[in-house]
This record gives sequence, C-alpha cells and structure tokens, in this order.
Amino acid sequence: MKTTVSATINGVAQTFEVEPRTSLADVLREQMRLTATHLGCEHGVCGACTVLIDGQPARSCIALAVTLDGAAITTLEGLADDPLMQTLKASFHDQHGLQCGFCTPGMLMSGWDLLKRKPDIQGQDIRVAMSGNLCRCTGYQGIVRSIEKAAQTAKGQVSQTKGAAA
Amino acid sequence: MNQTLDGRDRIVRTQGVGASVKRNEDKRLLNGQGEYLGDLQVPGMAEVAFLRSPVAHARIRGIEIPEAHKGSVFLASDIPFAKPIVAVSAAKGFNASDYPALVSDKVRFVGDLIAICIAPTRAEAEDIAQSCIVDFEDLPAVWDIDVATAAGAPKVHDHWADNVYVETRIETGDIAAVRAKAEVTVKRNLRMGRHAGVSLEGRGVLAHFNRRLDELTVYSSTQFPHVIRTIMATCLGVSEAKLRVIAPDVGGGFGPKNNFHPEELAVAALSMKLNRPLRWIEDRREHLIASPHAREHRYELTAYADSKGKILGLEAVVVVDAGAYSVWPWTAAMEAGMSAGIMTGPYDIPVYHARAISVATNKSPLGPYRGVGRSGACFAIETLVDAVAREVKREPADVRIENMVPLEAMPYRSATHKYYDSGDYPTCAQMARDAVDLPGIRARQAKPSPDGKLIGFGMASYTEQSAHGTAEWVARGLPVVFGYEPALARFTPDGKLILFVGIQNHGQGLETTLAQVAHEELGIPVADVIVRHGDSSVSPYGMGTFASRSMTMAGGAVSIACGQLAEKILRIGAHLLQAPKDAVTLRDGKVFFGQQSVSFAQIGEAAFLHPERLPEGEEPALEANAVYQPGRSTGAFSYATHACVVTVDPGTGHVEILDYVVCHDCGTMVNPMIVEAQVVGGVAQGLGTALYEEIPYDDNGQPLASTFLDYMIPGATEVPDVRVLHMETPSPHTRFGIKGMGEGGAIAPPAVIINAINDALKPLGAEIGETPATPDRILDAILAVKPAGAAA
Ligand code: FES
Ligand code: FES
Repeated sequence: MKTTVSATINGVAQTFEVEPRTSLADVLREQMRLTATHLGCEHGVCGACTVLIDGQPARSCIALAVTLDGAAITTLEGLADDPLMQTLKASFHDQHGLQCGFCTPGMLMSGWDLLKRKPDIQGQDIRVAMSGNLCRCTGYQGIVRSIEKAAQTAKGQVSQTKGAAA
Repeated sequence: MNQTLDGRDRIVRTQGVGASVKRNEDKRLLNGQGEYLGDLQVPGMAEVAFLRSPVAHARIRGIEIPEAHKGSVFLASDIPFAKPIVAVSAAKGFNASDYPALVSDKVRFVGDLIAICIAPTRAEAEDIAQSCIVDFEDLPAVWDIDVATAAGAPKVHDHWADNVYVETRIETGDIAAVRAKAEVTVKRNLRMGRHAGVSLEGRGVLAHFNRRLDELTVYSSTQFPHVIRTIMATCLGVSEAKLRVIAPDVGGGFGPKNNFHPEELAVAALSMKLNRPLRWIEDRREHLIASPHAREHRYELTAYADSKGKILGLEAVVVVDAGAYSVWPWTAAMEAGMSAGIMTGPYDIPVYHARAISVATNKSPLGPYRGVGRSGACFAIETLVDAVAREVKREPADVRIENMVPLEAMPYRSATHKYYDSGDYPTCAQMARDAVDLPGIRARQAKPSPDGKLIGFGMASYTEQSAHGTAEWVARGLPVVFGYEPALARFTPDGKLILFVGIQNHGQGLETTLAQVAHEELGIPVADVIVRHGDSSVSPYGMGTFASRSMTMAGGAVSIACGQLAEKILRIGAHLLQAPKDAVTLRDGKVFFGQQSVSFAQIGEAAFLHPERLPEGEEPALEANAVYQPGRSTGAFSYATHACVVTVDPGTGHVEILDYVVCHDCGTMVNPMIVEAQVVGGVAQGLGTALYEEIPYDDNGQPLASTFLDYMIPGATEVPDVRVLHMETPSPHTRFGIKGMGEGGAIAPPAVIINAINDALKPLGAEIGETPATPDRILDAILAVKPAGAAA
C-alpha cells in the first residue's frame, strides 16, 4: 500500500509515493536521484546518511518517509550555495579531511550543524560532537582538523563582514 | 636544478614528487558528486537480494519457492554455465575447494549463497528471499580451529581427508643447537580475533548487457577490475574481449574488495542469462557475516635467547582459521603463509623454524585485509620480544633495539628468505621511543596514581614488504603473478594530459599523486592532469590497488611514459621556437627558450592537428605507453616503530590511549600529506583490531556480531591524535626510491597496544595475549593472577 507524501526537498516542493517502510534515504537516492546522501549501515549508526529534517540533523536511513509529510528536508546538494558549507568543504580539501569520500557528505552535514551551533568548537570537543559519524579511512585526524580550520575561517569571515558593516 | 635519485638533473617543482599537493579528486567527492556503485542506475534494472544460508553447515534437501515468486528466484540450476571459483596455491598438498556462485548441495557457512531473488526494489527482493523455505539436513558445525582439527571432526569439504587446506614449513638454521645453548626460553600462546574489513561502502555489483558492443558490462566495487575480468571470463565461459569490468568510485577497499566474489559471478551470470540489468548492493549485515573476513590467528611461539635478551632462535606455529572456502586469487594459504614468512620482522634472528597451518571451518572465507598476515606476525613477535625483556628484567625498548638488523647489515636477507633492501630500523625505533619520553613514564609508574589506573608504555616495530613483483608472487604460487603495472599517458590536442592506469583509486589520492609524477617529468600543472582508472576498457591491463603497490608500480609506469613524452615535447617545442633542443626547458605547461615559450596546447595542436608543424621525421600524436617493473621484484621494505602510552583501569578493564607516535620510513614520499593521512587511517583500523573489532561465533557456527551495534569500529573519540615522524631512505630498486605504505599503519597497533597493556599490568603480574583486548579479557587476565575472592 502506497501513501502520498508531500515535502520540501532542498527548497522545492515534491510529492512522492512511498510504502510505509520506505526510508527517506531511499526516496532521496532512488526517486529524487540525490545521491550525495550515502548509506553506510542502514541501521542508524554510521551517520553517512545524515540530512537535515526541519533544520535538525537526522539519519535518513531510519527516518520513515511516510512520517515526513510537510517536512523541509535539506541534503548536501541543497547547501551547495551556503557560505558556511563552502567554507567547510574548502577546509576538508585543505586539511585532507577525506579519503574515499564515502563518509564525507555525512561528515559535512554533521560538521555544518555543529559549527552553526558551536562556532568556537575545538579539538577533543569536536571528536565528541562528531562521534556519531563513522569514517573508516581517515582515522578522523583530518576531519577534526578540517572542522577546526573551518571554525577559524568562518569566524574570520564573520568579523570581516562586521568590520565592513561598521 | 638538483640531482635526483636516478642521477638526472631535474628542476625542483612545488607540485612534483615530495610536495603536499591538495587532492584533485576532492572536488567531486565534497560536492556529493562521487559516483559509487549504489548511485548507478540502468534502465530496466532489477534489484538483487540473495537468499543466504541461515545455518553454518547443512545439506540442502530442497528449496521451496512460493508460487507467486516463481520467476523471481534463481538457483544454481538456473546458471549451470557458471563455473565455481577455485583458488589453488602451488604449495604442495594444497586442498582445493570449489566456491560456487550459488550452492546446490550443501551450505558451509552462515551467509553462503543459495538463491538470487530479484524485484524492482531491494525491500521487495528481500521479502521474496524471506518467503523461500529451504529444507536443511543439519550437520555439526565446524565452528572453531580446535573443533576442525579434533580427531573425527565433521568435514567442511567431504572429499578432503581432514579440515586442513595446507601446512607449510620454514626451517632455517639449527634449532636444536639454539635450544641447547639458550640461557632463556620464553613461550607464549597468542590469539588474534576474527573480524571484518568494513569499508564504509559495502560491496556491490551491477551487470548489464550492452547490445551494441555485444559485451557484458559489470560494475563492481572492486580494487582490481582487470583481474576480475580475467577470472570472471573464465568462470562465465566467455572471452575477456566480451566483458568489461568497471570499478566506479569505491568507498574504501582495505582488502575485502580485492577478491573475486561469488556475488560478482552470480549477478553477472544471471544478468547474462536473463538479458536484464541487475544490481546487488551489500548491506551491513551481509558485509559483517559474509564478506571475506580478516585475521583469526593463533600462535605458539618460543624464543631462545641469551641472558641479555638477544634472541638466538625462534620457533613458531601459526594456525589460521581460513573459513569455508579458498578465496581467489589469494588462496586460503595466504594469511598463515605471510605471517610465518615475515615473523622475524625487523630482527636479526638467524635461526627460525615455523609451521603455517590453514584450517577450514564453517565460517566466512578469510581474505586479505590491510596488513595481511603481517599484523598478526607483528603482534606475535612483538609481544614475545616484550616477554623476553620482562624475563631478563630489562627495558623492552632496549632489548628490541639491540635485536634489530643494524644499519650496516643492509641489504639483509632474513631467515624467512626475504631481502630487506634498505633502512635503519634501530634509529627509527629510537626516534619513536624518544618521542614519548620513556624515562618520564617510568618515573610516573614508580608512584601509584591517585585514580588507581595503571599506566603502560608499549612499542612495536615491523618491516613491510611492499610493491613486490614477479619473484615474490611466483614464490607464493598464486594463480596470477602481479609483476608489473602499465600507464598510457595521452595528451589531448588542447594540451591537457590524461593518464590511463591499471590501478584503482579508492581513497589513496592516486588521482593526485600520479599527476605529481607527471608534473615531475613534464612540469605540467597537477590540475591539468586527469587520471583515469578502474575501467578495463579504458586503461591498459593492470593489476589494481593492493599490497601497498600502486604508488611504486603505477608511479614508475607514469614516470617512464611521461619521460618519453617530455623528450618529444622538448623536440617539438624547440622546433617551434627555432631553438636548439638542449637549450629549451619544461615549466608550467610550457616549453621555454629564454623568455620565449610555447604552451603544451600549441604543442598538442601541432602534434595532433598540424603535423606539418612538426620537426622533420617526428611522428604525429602525443602519447606514450610504458610498463614498469621495479629493479628487484622482491619488494621494497617500508618499516616503522609505533610507540604508545595507555592507562588501564584495573577495576573496569578499560584502556585509554594517552599518546601515540609513529616513526616510519616509506622511502621517498610523493605526497607527505597523503602519506601521513594513510598512516593515521591505518592506525585507526589497527586500533580496531587491537581493542574493539571481533566477530565471535557460537558453537552452532552463528556469527555473534552482525550490526554496528554489536560490532564496533573506532569512532572519533576512540582514535587519539597520532603524531607521525618521517624518515626517508629511498629504495635503491624503485623509481624515485618510493616504497609502498598504504597498509603499514594497520600493522603495528595490535602489538603496541598489547605491549602497553602488559606493561601496565606488570605490577599485578598479569598479562594478556589476545586481541581485541576487551575490558572482559583484561579483567579475566587480572583475575587469573589474583587470589580467589580478591576481586573487587
Ligand atoms: S546509513 Fe544511516 S546511519 Fe548508517
Ligand atoms: S573517507 Fe572513506 S569512510 Fe571516511
């Protein structure tokens, strides 16, 4: 039995048909062809599938699409023009925060949310905050450095903007 | 200008060999535009779910497919043309196993493939698999090495005499004489647990028939597409010319994607038969129970030493649980053979006798995983070296360093017949030791800590054969000899360079480092170089990425090919500039004569579109093919010492890592940023082996860890900030002096962590000899030496 769900995906109103068991990740990946959202475990542990649901980071592999009628969903693709996401991506490039790239979209989504909430976060606190995202390649060092660097850069950008306004 | 390692004058370039260039491949991956197996769709495609055996060992009496799903479920009898995968080692007496695409008579492990179910979605395909009923006649499960080797044990392969794939021996020197003269004899029994490889992306296959080309195209998340094409053609009974294997972006490999899997064969065969695109995406449970597993070693070791701890001789019995089938091409003998074959590691131990035994059980087949065999060997010898040091009451660091092959003995032939090409093992070990302030730790250990935690220092060293070529693979008796690597370097008429290579890049940064090699030869900006890999129809035949070989091997090939192009470009450039050839130089994608220059675009245009502009006798076009083999095919030996400081809570058995240092030498580093990150990533995986990762089996042969809830890989809080120190001793036998290093980081952590734990437990008289060192195992070790009733 299929249900019709309407939700905003990356700012665009979408309507799709799902079974009660269909995950948001499958809707995004298979129906919308938004394949930045990766699946590393499909049982809510690895964080590779992290997206924003109504602004909150969530695991799209265990979010049932039927429950999301009216929700606003943002994937990595949807933040392509976001300045903080651009800063974060630049830092991942600069600090070698990715190897195979499979965990990376989830890391970027969680890292983005983290920096929004805690722009000053550093070192061990980043490790704790990011512990819900698994990476098998990097040993996390590059990821922690990338987020640290992004925090510094983003702060610089904010004060510059402020300076310009003053 | 400076002298390079091969004696040629070369301009020092900021993007060439030795520069920490940022990666070319990052952009698409950061933008979520990587294309992994699960991102591919082909029109008309059906999804595959496998019906896998839920039991470890049973005969199949019948399979009942519900009426509604007939036509969606396919058995071995539906793909009779698919031949089983047979991986036979040339070692004498090797027992061969048939690993079929789908089993028909008997299942041999939980996860063995019984049927292929297809549907429009994975969920529906899984429903169909669930609805099938298999009538099993249960057989006793051979779930452990001891069960497998007991007298009268049930047999995994009915036609064998016992459950042993093969036993091999190494006997170097007179062990009886050493036994007689040793002042100290130290014995240890050690175990390394079974675990999984756990690339974050699981395995996957998509097969479809290309009507126009009359060719079956198989996408697979694999580390070696060309080699897969070869074996798949054999198993399908088709010509390689009618088969194309493509590895798209691959989300981590680490060895489990370096085998020919029955899933690859099954999906390809059924797609061929149905003439329909099929896709299988492995889920995490399948990966944990049914991808080729890692490790599961047991060691019985005896060191014979003098009273100072100098090891005079070593005896080893290495027993590996190789699981139900021999994986192709490595065979079931690889893990035990490699472990026994590198056991003496960086040590000058002249007398060595070993037996390496590979046992068949009803578990997932064992395959290569980062470090292959050497993680176990390092764990074994390094635990033993520390035990020897404790026995002679000396500092383990000193005993370790005194036993090492000294610099002046290089090159060195080991008791296992390995040829260590170069390196300074003692200096490396000293650097690691000094980086962690050993005297300070010893002082802290002398006073009890307020929280009751015990502090421990550990050290472990290894030497790693990398980029080995023909001689080594012939010696191992494998079905394929991975002796070389090709490169085709091709300019486009607009002056960009495309490198077509046979390796496969899945996180190692090869789309950048191979471009750096091209830059080294041609002065072309790294950003102007595209590296194409992973497609058997695009690249020349190559062996893929494994065994820490790609940088050395493909780097060598790219260097030769680009060197040839550099000559041609200089000739054309000089001609266009009307300058003598020896007066022009290459820089920034241009040929310079004084201030005047022509760009590679102008040269490409002349070479491809305007041959009339070329010098007399110059052939049009601008491409070169090269094949590289290292100067010696016995391998370039990287090495390292890891040192760490831990605390052990004797009340909970919990281990915390306070400091972790790696001092390593992989010869010339092409990109130090990438090298360092490979080391750190390897260490994280090794810490998983050391402390967390394990798939135990119960006595029914059921795997007890099958999700990320009961199988733990290290997260960001489990991995410390690793400090990496570099040494650079170029290999005399490879282009630029490169040695391979992709695996090394994962080799030493189990050893170093166990040594640190044992150092911490020393005041209690307790010792642990098993990985993963879980809190339970540590508490057991403590309780084993505490008087009864004394436990808190
Ligand atoms: S795929 Fe969703 S948490 Fe792993
Ligand atoms: S970069 Fe490969 S899993 Fe994180």
